[in-house]
Amino acid sequence: MAHKSEDLFDCILMADDRFHVEGYREGFDEGTRQGMIDGRKHGASHGAKLSMEVSFYYGFGITWKCLLQNNTDVKARKRLKVLESLLGLIQKFPHEEPQYEYLQEDMEKVRAKFRQTSVIM
Amino acid sequence: MKDTLALLQKFNAHPDSRCWYVAWNPKGTLLASCGGDRAIRIWGREGDSWECKTVLQDGHQRAVRKVAWSPCGNYLASASFDATTCIWKKKNDDFECLTVLEGHENEVKCVAWAPSGNLLATCSRDKSVWIWEVDEEDEYECVSVVNSHTQDVKHVVWHPTQELLASCSYDNNVCVYKEEDDDWECRAILEGHTSTVWGLTFDPSGQRLASCSDDRTVKIWKECQPGGTDTAWKCVCTLSGFHGRTVYDIAWCPLTGALATACGDDGVRVFKEDETADPDQPVFSLSAHVPKAHSQDVNCIAWHPKEAGLLVSCSDNGEIAVWNYQSAV
Repeated sequence: MAHKSEDLFDCILMADDRFHVEGYREGFDEGTRQGMIDGRKHGASHGAKLSMEVSFYYGFGITWKCLLQNNTDVKARKRLKVLESLLGLIQKFPHEEPQYEYLQEDMEKVRAKFRQTSVIM
Repeated sequence: MKDTLALLQKFNAHPDSRCWYVAWNPKGTLLASCGGDRAIRIWGREGDSWECKTVLQDGHQRAVRKVAWSPCGNYLASASFDATTCIWKKKNDDFECLTVLEGHENEVKCVAWAPSGNLLATCSRDKSVWIWEVDEEDEYECVSVVNSHTQDVKHVVWHPTQELLASCSYDNNVCVYKEEDDDWECRAILEGHTSTVWGLTFDPSGQRLASCSDDRTVKIWKECQPGGTDTAWKCVCTLSGFHGRTVYDIAWCPLTGALATACGDDGVRVFKEDETADPDQPVFSLSAHVPKAHSQDVNCIAWHPKEAGLLVSCSDNGEIAVWNYQSAV
């Protein structure tokens, strides 16, 4: 009997605290779920931007390579060399690894190579 | 007998604007200056004074920041805030614009010719350093674009004897580049300055590099373990407490080994190296100082390539000053 009445008061006294903890847990779970969704969107959008950029450089490189391939003069040879270098850098680039430690550095190298290529053409 | 730095001549080179840079041609017969008025002026000696021989006015749309003579003396390159670099060919007393190098995204801060005469380097506020190659037909081609700096690149300078390039930046670092497989890459990053590094100069032998900075110090760097593909540089001396403000330019005399600096406190200083010091721990002392060399910031300082002791400086007030440095020893 005494046991039951203790529980009863316990319930009432600790109600505030209990609801606080429950509320926090529910909020945390909801936040985690929402965070996952937002993060996924964010990652997908950044990934898309990056691959759009890299694909643009690749397409540029392949197009000019096709145009200059059959040209035998010295200038064209030099330009092809630079194009091959650009295409090589892009092909080496790990497309599937977002955690690649040299991602930023290699992207800078690709961008610099593209700038050089666009000035040379 | 004390060391002296005496004023020989002072004249207004760029009316109502800054004079950004001055450069002697390899023979020392002409002086090129450039300024905020978008013009390049060529000065020649007439007896005891310097007279303006040519004005190149229409080459650029914005201020011309630096000019550089080719090692043969027949070409002049100018770097401008309009994002282009102009190559001028000397034809008797006049200059003709041969070609315009484009590619930088914004202000070009410096241009420099390699001692071989076949390569040219430019750097810009777009954080990149570009290396260009010249062929026999005067055609310029971009060989490399390097993005080693994380901020505005202020100056580039070539090694006097090797194919080595150094650059300095608003990111407080100095980068050293070497060629590998037709591509130029950063091989060393020299850290140490605590603010923007504005100028660089190699000593006559190329074994040491001096840098000057907004942190009011000058640092001397020496290559440790030279040779091989990699290069490592160590700071072997720091000159602090001599300059009141930013040190904008530094020049190592190829004839005497004296070091001159251009400072934001309007002063020009010359430092002499102590002959008895350990070569790995050089000691420099202030040999001569003119506190109010100009009435505004001194932007550039350059030693004459043939006449020992002849020094020229230029300032924000548009003036050029010619000095004679005499060492008592």
